[in-house]
Amino acid sequence: MSHAFTDIVAVTRLEWRRLLVRPLAWVLAALTLAWLAWNFTLLLGGFLAGQIQRAALPDGPGFIDLVGVPLLAQLAQLAFLVVPLLCMSTIAGERRNGTLPLLFAAGMPASRIVLGKYLAVQGWLLLWLALTLAMPLALMHATHFDWGKLAAATLGLALMLAALAAIGVACSSFASHPALAAAAALVVALALWSVNLGAQMAGINGGAINWLAMSTHLQPMLRGLVSSTDVVWFVLLIVLALALAARRLSADKERN
Amino acid sequence: MASIIPDSPKAVLQLERLSRRRAGRPAVQQLSLSLQSGQVMGLLGVNGAGKSTTLSMIAGALRPDSGDIRLNGEDFLEHPELARTQIGWLPERAPVWAELTVDEHLDAHGRLRGLAGATLRQARTAIIERLELQSLTRRLAGVLSQGQRQRLGLACALLHRPALLVLDEPANALDPVQVAALRALIREQAASGTAVILSTHLLAEVTAVCDRVVILHEGSLRHDGAVHADDHAALERTFFGIAMNGSTESARAA
Repeated sequence: MSHAFTDIVAVTRLEWRRLLVRPLAWVLAALTLAWLAWNFTLLLGGFLAGQIQRAALPDGPGFIDLVGVPLLAQLAQLAFLVVPLLCMSTIAGERRNGTLPLLFAAGMPASRIVLGKYLAVQGWLLLWLALTLAMPLALMHATHFDWGKLAAATLGLALMLAALAAIGVACSSFASHPALAAAAALVVALALWSVNLGAQMAGINGGAINWLAMSTHLQPMLRGLVSSTDVVWFVLLIVLALALAARRLSADKERN
Repeated sequence: MASIIPDSPKAVLQLERLSRRRAGRPAVQQLSLSLQSGQVMGLLGVNGAGKSTTLSMIAGALRPDSGDIRLNGEDFLEHPELARTQIGWLPERAPVWAELTVDEHLDAHGRLRGLAGATLRQARTAIIERLELQSLTRRLAGVLSQGQRQRLGLACALLHRPALLVLDEPANALDPVQVAALRALIREQAASGTAVILSTHLLAEVTAVCDRVVILHEGSLRHDGAVHADDHAALERTFFGIAMNGSTESARAA
């Protein structure tokens, strides 16, 4: 195995372990999953209540349209708060506790430290997404499933979580205190989501400002449309945020 | 001042004109020295003399502004990954990941240093026994006393059997029994060929375990000489002369 791989795995294991023993991760998981489960029952109730009317429509919305995707949309809203809280300590916390030099002294480049930490957070987020998905999936034998639409929405959510985590890690690398990192990540994520709000209100649906907005790239996937442009947008954002984080962390060795 | 140890291709560590500024002032200036395998070098200096900055650069946690560091003849600045296997570092105040147990700490340090599987398990068991950490293995690092944290930090520094051991005030918060055990451990490491740098405020620590002492003042090397266990007074004169007046000459005059 190459040093790069073993370094990244070592940092991921360390961060994952720290994440699992921190009460914050468990509290966030418990509260958000309880909220999502309650919303799932409400959505399911609404779906069952309208079943007879929809039976008359030849191409009416199905279970995924009325329960699966709205549930994932709720998860997307919660992610704006959960991901910054989860990422805030990744680097800012190490800096504050004086443990960052221990990682530098292991002789690994900043990029591997950043990637290792990012993958640990990403692992937690994917588990969170999987547990949320388990709710509609529990009914897959009881109703008609539009697998394509669910897969597209899941891909969109996974990309969004990955992008928010990259922003969170980047903000953590720039901040001296975890709370500042969380606040910065929240502001950046909200700004990125709604940067085109003014343009939309003015009736402009194209152009660079709309391309910049995260909502432009997530919403088609929630509707079941996957385009390579949207996927590339998320990948570019992730790479840019992680590169900035690695650059800032590397500067710690020079500046401190 | 030139080092009393001649440069040799077998030197574990060689510093050449190492400089670093911190908080807008020179913390280390043009520092050159070398350290052989099995040698124990004491690093003395008043607060702010540049000891911790020097050790952080040697450990790979801080990059020098200029100068060279060679580890076993290889360019350390060009190959920082050499730190993984060759350097063990106990930083000042022994920072720990508070959420991890002592066992998990050793595990994480071992993995960061490239150990895995049976090798890691054996190394962990050996160091736990050697530092008598058996009763602490399941305790969270965050609740350890400062002395216990120092021992954990020491265990992490020694886990991968480095060629160079860098200890920044390791006797801090240790009781007299633990200090004696630390001295024995340093001697044992030196006897097995490990080069040791020991930064301390305690002159007695230097005369007890070091072969050589380097005194830094305002970031510069002011003294580099052999240590004689029976001449504590001479070391004291030299140190206070430098600390008060900044030069070896005034120390001699005193």
